[in-house]
Amino acid sequence: MPRNVTTVSIPKPLADKIRERIKGTGFNGISSYVTYVLRTVLTKVGEKGNNKAKEAFTKEDEEEVKARLRSLGYLD
Amino acid sequence: MVTLIKMLVIGLDGATWKVIKDNINEFPTIKKLMNEGYHKTITVRGKPLSVPLWCTIFSGKKPEEHGHEEFVVNGKLLHRDDINLDFIWDILNKQGYKAFAINIPFVLPPYNFNTQFDAISYGLPETEEEWEKELWSVTEKAKDLLQTKPDLLCVVYTLLDRVQHYYWGSSEVVRWYKKIDDSIKELIQFDNKIILLSDHGFCSFGEAKIKTLKKANIDGREVKGDHHEEAILIAKNINYDIKNPEDIFYAIMNEFNGNKNGTEE
Repeated sequence: MPRNVTTVSIPKPLADKIRERIKGTGFNGISSYVTYVLRTVLTKVGEKGNNKAKEAFTKEDEEEVKARLRSLGYLD
Repeated sequence: MVTLIKMLVIGLDGATWKVIKDNINEFPTIKKLMNEGYHKTITVRGKPLSVPLWCTIFSGKKPEEHGHEEFVVNGKLLHRDDINLDFIWDILNKQGYKAFAINIPFVLPPYNFNTQFDAISYGLPETEEEWEKELWSVTEKAKDLLQTKPDLLCVVYTLLDRVQHYYWGSSEVVRWYKKIDDSIKELIQFDNKIILLSDHGFCSFGEAKIKTLKKANIDGREVKGDHHEEAILIAKNINYDIKNPEDIFYAIMNEFNGNKNGTEE
């Protein structure tokens, strides 16, 4: 297991429901889906309603965005 | 006075008639909407880029009026607060309407109004897995909100633009349009007033009047297509003749307020 992740236990019937729900969605497992849902729930609400307030958007996030813009040819 | 209007605006970044009309029977939902409303080409006058155009579409201000052109300015990634514009959801919300916006890509991550949504890959999904995730998560979020019977929901899918960057001219493009068509079917059951539009079209590399993309990205991955000035528009039960991108804003205002200027009466 990578050092930057940890294990969380959820009821097995819930895990089965998630397994069914993520079929054909692009989520490659229960962990990635649960991470996505929890991140959505926990994300701070910015002043004008955006999902990430400025302070919650890290320097690493910003660099990742710029890298993706370069990859798509939108940024030199 | 607040009136009872239920309206859905679905944006498909980069969607083009070239794909839709050549394969219309593959897209039954889009075909149905075309038959039930009116459809036309919206020609973009300046650069066919998503940032200025989504701003224009939802603010009613032309690109030269709002001046917002890029995600990054002087090395700084812009946020909603950096853009001094009132969007349609801001105005309607102040008037007492229940308005929502999801995944609107005029900033990164894409902007949401009145709700939380964690955009896939900061709104720049690049792989098949990420495109699947965006399609599913945006659709599910939109359905959740539509079940609360909002007055206005504006939602944008970004994946078609990225698919076309890399697969323009292949059957992959049609396959992803079909997936989008299935998702649209899930959303349009909730509302009767519907606008389906793109910010710009798409074409083979070199075909566009104004070139917006590089032939290859920094990793050497070939870019197969480029943005085109001809965007799509389908409008169902919309009492406004939309001719330009900024008219989308006025068309929505007209449905709610019966006037063009977006001011409260």
